Amino acid sequence: MLRFILRRLSYLVPVWVGISLVAFILASLTPGDPARLALQRELGRQPTAEETAAAREQMGLDDPAPVRYARWVGDALTGDLGTSYRTGKPVLASLAERFPTTLQISGLGLALAVALALPLGMLAAVYRRGPIDHASRILALLGASMPSYWVAYLLILLLSVRLGWLPVAGSTTWRHAIMPALTLGIGGSASLMRLTRAEMLETLGQDYIRTARAKGLTQRTMIVRHALRNVMIPISTVLGMRFAGMLGGAVIVETIFAWPGIGKLVVDAIFDRDYPMIQGFVIFMGTVFLVINLIVDIGYGLIDPRIRLTGR
Amino acid sequence: MRGIKARQIDRRALLRVAGATGVSAALLRPVVAGAAQEAPSGSARVGVSEDGYRTDERANVGFYPLNTGIFESLVHLTPDYQIEPLLAEAWELVAPSTWRITLRQGVIFHDGSVFDAKAVKYTMDRIAANGGGVMGIGEESTVIVDDHTVEITPTYVNMRLMQQIGHPNNSILPEGLNPAEQRIGTGPFREVEYVAGDHYTVAANPDYWGEDAAGVGEITFRFYPDPTSRLLALQAGDVDLIIDVPRQSASQVEAVGATLRTGPVGAYEAMYVNINGAEPYDLGGDPAVREAISMAIDRQQIIDSAWQGFAEPGTTMIPPAILGDSASLVSAPELDVEGAKQVLEAAGWVAGDGDVRAKDGRELKLTIINGYGTAADHGSVPELLQAQLKAIGVNVEIVQTPDTATYEQRLAVGEGDLWLEAGSQNDGNPCFLPDLLFSSPVEGGDPESTMYGRAFAPGEAFDTAITAAREAEEVSDVQKAAAEAMNVVINEERVVIPLCGFYRIIGASSAVAGFDLHASGVNQRWTSLTLNG
Repeated sequence: MLRFILRRLSYLVPVWVGISLVAFILASLTPGDPARLALQRELGRQPTAEETAAAREQMGLDDPAPVRYARWVGDALTGDLGTSYRTGKPVLASLAERFPTTLQISGLGLALAVALALPLGMLAAVYRRGPIDHASRILALLGASMPSYWVAYLLILLLSVRLGWLPVAGSTTWRHAIMPALTLGIGGSASLMRLTRAEMLETLGQDYIRTARAKGLTQRTMIVRHALRNVMIPISTVLGMRFAGMLGGAVIVETIFAWPGIGKLVVDAIFDRDYPMIQGFVIFMGTVFLVINLIVDIGYGLIDPRIRLTGR
Repeated sequence: MRGIKARQIDRRALLRVAGATGVSAALLRPVVAGAAQEAPSGSARVGVSEDGYRTDERANVGFYPLNTGIFESLVHLTPDYQIEPLLAEAWELVAPSTWRITLRQGVIFHDGSVFDAKAVKYTMDRIAANGGGVMGIGEESTVIVDDHTVEITPTYVNMRLMQQIGHPNNSILPEGLNPAEQRIGTGPFREVEYVAGDHYTVAANPDYWGEDAAGVGEITFRFYPDPTSRLLALQAGDVDLIIDVPRQSASQVEAVGATLRTGPVGAYEAMYVNINGAEPYDLGGDPAVREAISMAIDRQQIIDSAWQGFAEPGTTMIPPAILGDSASLVSAPELDVEGAKQVLEAAGWVAGDGDVRAKDGRELKLTIINGYGTAADHGSVPELLQAQLKAIGVNVEIVQTPDTATYEQRLAVGEGDLWLEAGSQNDGNPCFLPDLLFSSPVEGGDPESTMYGRAFAPGEAFDTAITAAREAEEVSDVQKAAAEAMNVVINEERVVIPLCGFYRIIGASSAVAGFDLHASGVNQRWTSLTLNG
């Protein structure tokens, strides 16, 4: 198992280097002068030529691109992702400050998605073409077709405006986290529910399930002990990707609910051409994706020992 | 651009006014320091846009962009863009470039320390350490004359200093204060709690020195980056007042049982014509084309349709109030579609295939660039302009840029004929924006810094007028010269086509008894906010 993990870890190095290069090139190719934009935001007006020139020099933007890349990567390896042009705060500190808040709603959202999708998807497969199957299909269709901002506004209208149970937006109490998490969870559950159903149907048609049934195992034992374990391999892949997507792509939800997460931070950075923040975000989230993938890979090995043994 | 030009001012001309006294203002607010006022009651909750504070060496927590009323500047910008004394009682020009400022006495900070010249010097030195800004504050600029007098000598001859110094970014801090860590000012409110990104609570300052004291006991500003969430928060009763409602959502404010209010014009929408472009963006160089375009614009239709009535026809691209009595000297060209057609006919632009005019085999086709502040700010204005110009035989292609940076990148290389912009005015200097946008660019200047001048500068007539505005001493002279400069770009050269001045919109619940909305959001004073009961 240790060799398996070490081999997986060794794959991460070239990927990480590739991510850093792409992050730097994309940020640098984006049109617009970060110095002007930072000043515009700070001053609330157009900056003068002198102000812009001074800011460019202060930001080190006049150096050649390779010099800036080497400097950035060198610093990144020591944990220094630079200083935000926009806020003046260290990038890593900003990301570290915001990431846990995004993690809260994403984690809760994923848990909601799993709690909703797994039982419904399994029941839909077991009772194929029955009422539960039809209901789950409608739910999945709704979940997949409703954009997250629409779900968010519907939840606010229902839970805040109509019922007065929850505050519209904010981040200071646990009640503030409920609607963002629900929004993410509803969106995430749709595809997961359909995938669970499809995988379960395929598994239930396998020879070993027929054998288990012939041996007289109860339906519950057969599903929970034999079918579910096999179904979990593709589902864990999708879960990993979904979770990573939630972490990086919760910007709309964060904006609507005034939730100070990492998504809102990076979108503001993109508009302001805050290169250190954009690059820092890409490398940070790239690393998070790699870690999640690693965990999923290790999870495969635990779920199915054949993967570990064959080194797939 | 502005700074460079300012340094080119003829010093002899300035010596003529050396020693002349500047504005000497009367006390506007009697000092009542030391006499605690009756504490107002009630807690108001205000929904504002996102938390935009910085917390680095340029920290502006509490005063910009959301000015909570904790801090105050030396002067205050009135809703009609005039300057009135605040922490400065009076000021005068004592040398070509030195302003002597007499400070108000008897003012104390929220921690009980006395407001004096040291605080002003500390604040100005902090501004100098961060580059000095447009005021040109240098490390040696600020000198303490006595406890209540300072002299400020900008790094260039800056006759507009007192109109710039009232910007909230120049709020006066007590000596040694870092606003990222602590907020102690002289204002009508003192800090209770700041939770970054969530809310900011301030309470009435019972020892406030002025008469314009708080009208409520406490205000909690809640940050809602999304305007729809802000509106829903008002509907749900989470807040009593929401600021800067998008015009598209304005009708919903009354639908949810709240009151809609608008403020005076502090922001504008205008279109600029590229008069110095290279082919294919060179058609704006034809005076007849510019004249015809300016006559073909139906501002009222734009206001009624795109702005849903929350604007008024624009006469300049700065709030007219800032020009004082001289505002009447500037007026936008009248709508005259037939006249516009005749102008084009006379210039050889004759109707061709598909009603698009042509001259010497070249179609009259222009590209309008939409993206400043954001493309969404302009709503359907580009399409309306396209339709209005089609009526006189001009084919307009609309290009929408995803953000300001892309817009400016395009402007830097001059790729476009018509440039649609929206902006606001946050200080009392009427010549800053026209100077920055339309003054002739410095030869060999940085492409991004000189992009406006390279595209739009009409030349000597404007440069002369704006220089006079920049150098004038009396406020009325500044306003008159600025109006003349505006006249050059709007009526003579037709580089600027004013569209409208738009209102700020707020929604108030029945709990709100009163609130005076300032034209400039960052200069809002919250003392006028009162609650029922």
